[in-house]
Amino acid sequence: MAETSRDRMVRMLGMVAYLEANGPTPVKTLAAHFGVTERRARDELWTLGTSGVPPYLPDECLDFDFDALDEGLAILRDSQGVSQVRLSGQEAIALTGALGTMLDAGTAPAGAEQVLARIREAGGDVAPVTVLEGAEHVGGDIRTALTTAIDDGVAAAIGYVDAQDRRTDRIIEPHRLVAIDGVGYVECWCRKAQDYRTLRLSRIESAAVLDSSQSHGPSEEPGFALEAQYHATVVVARGARWAFEDIGSATITVDDVNATVELGVTDEDWAAARLLSVAPALVSVEPARLREVLRRHADAVLAAQGD
Amino acid sequence: MSDVSAEQRRLNLMIALSRTRHRLTREQIRARVDGYDTVPAGATEEERQRADASFQRMFERDKDELRSMGLPLRTITDPVHQDDLGYRIDGDTAMPALDLSLQDAAVLALAVEYWAGKPLEADARHGFAKLISAIGHGESPSLPFGGMSTTAGADATSTLAAAVSDRQVVRFEYASASSPTRRRTVQPWGIVMRAGVDYLVGWDQDAEAVRTFRLGRVQGSVKTVGEPEAFERPAALPLGGLEESAPDQIAVVAVRPEAGHALRRRGEPVGAEDGWELFQVAYRHADLLRAEVLALQGGAKVMEPGELAESVKEHARAAKEVARG
Repeated sequence: MAETSRDRMVRMLGMVAYLEANGPTPVKTLAAHFGVTERRARDELWTLGTSGVPPYLPDECLDFDFDALDEGLAILRDSQGVSQVRLSGQEAIALTGALGTMLDAGTAPAGAEQVLARIREAGGDVAPVTVLEGAEHVGGDIRTALTTAIDDGVAAAIGYVDAQDRRTDRIIEPHRLVAIDGVGYVECWCRKAQDYRTLRLSRIESAAVLDSSQSHGPSEEPGFALEAQYHATVVVARGARWAFEDIGSATITVDDVNATVELGVTDEDWAAARLLSVAPALVSVEPARLREVLRRHADAVLAAQGD
Repeated sequence: MSDVSAEQRRLNLMIALSRTRHRLTREQIRARVDGYDTVPAGATEEERQRADASFQRMFERDKDELRSMGLPLRTITDPVHQDDLGYRIDGDTAMPALDLSLQDAAVLALAVEYWAGKPLEADARHGFAKLISAIGHGESPSLPFGGMSTTAGADATSTLAAAVSDRQVVRFEYASASSPTRRRTVQPWGIVMRAGVDYLVGWDQDAEAVRTFRLGRVQGSVKTVGEPEAFERPAALPLGGLEESAPDQIAVVAVRPEAGHALRRRGEPVGAEDGWELFQVAYRHADLLRAEVLALQGGAKVMEPGELAESVKEHARAAKEVARG
């Protein structure tokens, strides 16, 4: 992504803060810390050295040891009171929102809670984001077992209830805990399926760490199991559009009467269940393949419930 | 044009406005702060006007930029000459010492990754760069965690986040579930996130009431109206319907053995009949329980209440009708 003037200004202020906190530092280290070339770091230190308070007399600018700078060492002599700026409202909302969401999804690393608390404390007058608990709950013991297996590079035995309500016992090799749109998943190699899987944490009923070492490393393609198989077009009465709003891949266009939903189908049974939940508002479903799954579900419900 | 870069000019503006005892007017800023073009001697009237307009535009952009960086840049009116505006940066603007570790930096990097490809990514990236500035350099640990956001509404979230912290009124087109698309003018009070869905809570100026807006339903762009610091935010954000409330109704659901695991976990067993196991399940929203039963593909049926059982059937019949194509 293209670097903006803001990125450069934040970085220059950051270099001043770094030197204030850590003392004389090789330009090479400074460049590595801020992810730029040494030349760029040196240029920006020179720019800082010609910035300051009007009318910019020598003792009114930020001062560095420029001889040392030529030798590759950054030494800040006078910061003119300039330092890194506290977080803006948007910055605080973006960072605390993501951390809060990962904590709620059960996929935050150790220490995330303390980092979140410290950012909030430092926020001052900015409006923090409120992160509310979602409907899914992940057992703390399940989380602990999975992170232990990840850290130790071993397999875990889990009891898993899939989206079609089938309960299976599986042995997985967990690699990473991820939050996708606020829902927690574990990325793993599943020995039963002999393939990579992304399993929803709230569907794991039990988890135990095994002695057995992992045989497969993490997949090169994260999110693989969430790839869409085909595209569907669903038209519903506009009042029922809410039923599709939480589907990340869905685009919804609305006219005066109806809403047209374009979505990628990753799991036909899951999609059919979602359509059933708003069935009286359905106008049309394409393609025929999805209609067939919908019909099968409806028949099964009527057979059980009685028609 | 001056050869001073935009970032250096803004740095100089930030320093000048932080150091001034009273305030600096636009003309003082233009004359003193390094990076702004002054009118060249002997310029024609037309050249002078063009230079003036270019300075005003540049200064407006710089002012907005410093504000969105989190600097409290205030407009100070002269008590004698009211239309003569001046500016100053007030108060303590420095990032407090947070004493963060390299492990903390790795945790924060995940928060930036979460917004990858979304408008909040830039805000997260700048915030990250600010927070890690003073951490001594070292190898950051690579953590086996990750995240991403794919939901709609993140475009509006970034603009609204700025408006919430600047306390600036916003206007946007909004399509609620029940009413047609309408323009709303709102004092944005706070952003709420739940399970990956973003909401705005604020004061709807036309309805004269507190309202919650689901940001995925905002159509088009969000525009700010009027000046910053236009209203006070309430100390506690009213969450209204977003707050989960306790279930208040009871259903009896029959499930097949080895089916309905989620219902079994929540419910109380109350017997068995004809190959079905019965569970009492507490619920608040009938539509959610109905959706759960419908999703079990005949692995469950509603025994009580009768209306709920009837509406399960109604849904299945309607689905069959549509499935005919």
